[in-house]
Amino acid sequence: MKLGNRLRKFRFEHDEMTQQDLANAVGVSRLTIHSIEKGKFNPSTLLALKIVHFFNVKFEDIFYMMDERVQE
Amino acid sequence: MKKLEKILRFFSIVVGFASAVFFVADAFIFAQLRPKLVAFETISAAEEGLMNWVGISLVLFLTFCLLSLLRITMYLKYAKKITIFSLFLIVIGVVALLFVFGDLALLSDIGKQYKHGLDQPEWLLLFPIMGFQFTTILIYTYIHFFGFSKDNQVDHVARDSNIFLIVQYVGVVCGLMGTAGSGLRYMFPMATIPAHMVATLVTLMVPYVLIVGYWSINKLQEKPRQWYDEKQMQDVGKSAFFTLVLSVIFMMVQFTANYDDLAGVIRMVWFPQTLFLILLFFSLGNLYFTARG
Repeated sequence: MKLGNRLRKFRFEHDEMTQQDLANAVGVSRLTIHSIEKGKFNPSTLLALKIVHFFNVKFEDIFYMMDERVQE
Repeated sequence: MKKLEKILRFFSIVVGFASAVFFVADAFIFAQLRPKLVAFETISAAEEGLMNWVGISLVLFLTFCLLSLLRITMYLKYAKKITIFSLFLIVIGVVALLFVFGDLALLSDIGKQYKHGLDQPEWLLLFPIMGFQFTTILIYTYIHFFGFSKDNQVDHVARDSNIFLIVQYVGVVCGLMGTAGSGLRYMFPMATIPAHMVATLVTLMVPYVLIVGYWSINKLQEKPRQWYDEKQMQDVGKSAFFTLVLSVIFMMVQFTANYDDLAGVIRMVWFPQTLFLILLFFSLGNLYFTARG
C-alpha cells in the first residue's frame, strides 16, 4: 500500500498556488512539497495535518491509500 | 537587507577592480623576476620587495572570492531553482579560492628552489592557475556590475533548501580536490611528505566550513528553528548510512593494501584521505537522495 495525494490539484484550485507558497504556509522546504506531490516522500502525520488544515478540508480529501498492484 | 546588499555590491565591485589591477601588475612582476630566478641571478632587495605586492594581490583576491560567493549564496537563497550557470559560478569561485593556497605553496616552493639552486617547474603550474583566477575575477566583476536576474526569485522562503544544496555542491568540490590532493602523496617519496603538508591539505576544508557556517547562521534566524526539514532529515539519514558503508569498505581496502607497510605513506595520508572521502560520499549522497525526490 502507498500513500497517494491530490496535493497538486488542491494547490491549483487554491489560486494556482506555487509549491513555495504552500511550503512557506506549512513550514517546510519547496523540495519537500515537490517530493510529496510526486509520491516519492510520505509526509509525517503532523505535516499531513498541517496541509489538510491549510486547505480546510478533510484528511481523506487530499490523502488516500493506494494499492501499488492496482496502480501498476 | 537591501542596504546590506548595496554595500556588498559596492565593495565587491571595488575589490574586483582592485584584484584585476593587481593581477595585471603580478604578470609584469613575474615577467621581470622569473628569468632572473630561473637563471639563478642575484635579486635586489627592491625586486624581492615586489613579492609583497603579489601577496597583497592574493589577499585581495581571497577577499573578492569570499564577497562574491557570499553575494551569490544570498541571491540563491531566494532563487526558484539552482541553475547550471549559478552552479558554475559557485564551482569556479570555490576552486579559485582554494587555488589561493596553491599559489602560496607554489611561490614558497619557487623561493626555496631558487635559494638551493634547483629548477623551478612550479612556474608551469603557477601561470595557468593565476590565469584561471584572473578569468574568475572578470566573470564575477561582470556579474556584480550588471547585477543578478530578478526573474528567478521568490519573495519569501520559510524553510531553506537552496543553501542546503549549495553546501552539498561545495562539499563535492572540496571532497574531490582533497581526495585528489591526498592521493598525489602516493606519487612522491616519503621524504617529501612532512606532517605540515598533510595539515595544509586540511585548508581545502575552508570553503566547506564557511558555507556550513553561513547555513547555520541562516538556520538560527529561522523561527521556529528546525535544523533539517523532514525530507532533508530523511535524505541526510540515508546519505549518512551510504557514507558509513562506503567509508568502512574504503578503510578495509586501504588497510589490506598497505598491510606490509603501515608505517609508510598511509601513516601520513590516512587522515586527509578519510576526511575528504567522507565529505565527498556524504555530499554526493545528499545530492543524489534530494534529486531522487
